[in-house]
Amino acid sequence: MPDPVLLSVDIGSTYTKGAVFVPRGEAFDLLAQAAVPTTVDDLGRGFEAVESALQAAAAPAGISRAWFSSSARGGLKIAAVGLTTDLTVSIARQAACSAGGKVVKAYSYRLTRAEIEELEALAPDIVLFTGGTDGGHEKTNLANAEALAASCLDSIILYAGNAKIGDDVLARLKGKTVAVADNVMPEVGEVRIEPARDVIRRVFLERIVDGKGLSRIVRRIGTAPKPTPLAVYDLVRAIPEAVPAWDGLGVIDMGGATTDFYSNLETGRPDDGVLLKGLPEPRIKRTVEGDLGLRVSVLALAASQAREIESRLEAEGLDQAGFEAYLASVAASPEAVPASAVEERYDAVLAGACVRAAALRHAGRQTRLATPQGVFRVQRGRDIGRLRRLVGSGGYLSRCRDAAVLREACLRPDEDPEDRPLLPAAPELYADARYLFPLLGNCVAEYPDAAARTAVREALPLEPTR
Amino acid sequence: MNIVLGVIGSDCHSVGNKVLEAFFSEAGFHVINLGVMVSQDEFIDAAIESDAKAILVSSLYGHGEIDCEGLRQKCEERGLEDIVLYVGGNLVVGKTPFDEVERKFKAMGFDRVFCAHDDLHQAAEDLKVDIAARNRHA
Repeated sequence: MPDPVLLSVDIGSTYTKGAVFVPRGEAFDLLAQAAVPTTVDDLGRGFEAVESALQAAAAPAGISRAWFSSSARGGLKIAAVGLTTDLTVSIARQAACSAGGKVVKAYSYRLTRAEIEELEALAPDIVLFTGGTDGGHEKTNLANAEALAASCLDSIILYAGNAKIGDDVLARLKGKTVAVADNVMPEVGEVRIEPARDVIRRVFLERIVDGKGLSRIVRRIGTAPKPTPLAVYDLVRAIPEAVPAWDGLGVIDMGGATTDFYSNLETGRPDDGVLLKGLPEPRIKRTVEGDLGLRVSVLALAASQAREIESRLEAEGLDQAGFEAYLASVAASPEAVPASAVEERYDAVLAGACVRAAALRHAGRQTRLATPQGVFRVQRGRDIGRLRRLVGSGGYLSRCRDAAVLREACLRPDEDPEDRPLLPAAPELYADARYLFPLLGNCVAEYPDAAARTAVREALPLEPTR
Repeated sequence: MNIVLGVIGSDCHSVGNKVLEAFFSEAGFHVINLGVMVSQDEFIDAAIESDAKAILVSSLYGHGEIDCEGLRQKCEERGLEDIVLYVGGNLVVGKTPFDEVERKFKAMGFDRVFCAHDDLHQAAEDLKVDIAARNRHA
């Protein structure tokens, strides 16, 4: 029997990329790669163009299996609704992110009329509706169910709040498209996002596939798409399972619109004298920053990281006015690539600021606290200090060979060890040099080990250049 | 019935907290134990999400007055109008007579104030009565 030829395609917001692989030994051989501009009006055409560009490489056997992912048209848009900001709203965000969604907005407590109008305008694919422990808070959920029912939203409303009032909530949501999952927080502080994640994944198929030119692809190839971030998430999960030496893995996927940070490590128990506060951290986590991106979000990036960027420009001896002009030009034409060495350095400054901010938001913090019983350290959020490897992916980072950009995610020597962000101390740095991670993530469903080993093989170690 | 338990402020005394959790669970309450070093907002968030009927605050290190100040008002601001608030432990530094301590914390909005040698069985009975009373006129 001939080796199966596998096609994997990722429909991004700008480019539709694909590759054909053949399983050989413990990993894949990469036969060919192709990319075409994404065909926004009919996403299927881009898929078909990539497919036909890769047919020759797949000959004579032809493609035997195919998978694809999509983040086109803004990806999977999710609005998170919960009760308190630090508990259910925070968990709802986490569930949405880990399912590959983009949180367009998060709401706490009772939805006001203005918030309902805002939701209607945002038109998310899913409203993830949480709040209360099982047997806990009821009032706000019931009121929010009524408000959502009275709205003209046609999003899928996924209820994953207090399960004891699930029937009452569903009765009030009559007339809406509704899905139900187990409560994301059955007890105070207990995080259970897997059931909601699974439902979100199913809903993605119905929502994204229909009407965007993808149903004919799904019918023909017989597999349903994943949101692109979920493909990467699945790969980040699979790598240490197949290659245990790669446990303690981080991936930064920096795109034009967002920067995603994934980490997979044992967060475990903290050191003696450290007190953990806040919600427990999962082994695998994705955070996504909508205001950190090199092109579509470049103005938001420049605004939120203004001070950081300014000091970098100064340190590099780059001209602020020229930088401003460059910002304006890439914001106006997001397809732009740097046209000069100086513009390349502007991009490096932006990318460094992006990586730094995304890492700081992904990581938790440890602060020193003097109490009458002695000095303690209080930890909130995720300790990624022990990340052993950090891989840069996405258009910019997969091409970037300067380790300094990725090193921005790491702890600085001058950071006070008693009051510091819990950033990676000294990970090995890599580039996803052929930009294969989303494509390999698609193959994880059937070839978890081979896809993971291929990702490890393809990760290019970066040597510091300064 | 859900109740929220924890040691407030920067206080790390955890033994009594474990004892209280075991005792009140045994007494028929569903105890949401937030452990040590709990902020006012953490108490309130937990009480809102779980629809708790009472918050039991411990303070052992003598700074209870500062840590507890404003908790009742914050509960009211955040919609917990009918919650029962108890506080107990070594609430102030030094040898202040207990009735003075009790007066002070009641003025802050706590329903009952406990010292180290109070009887827990009595406290559990009081708690049931106080919760019923608060919810009757609710």
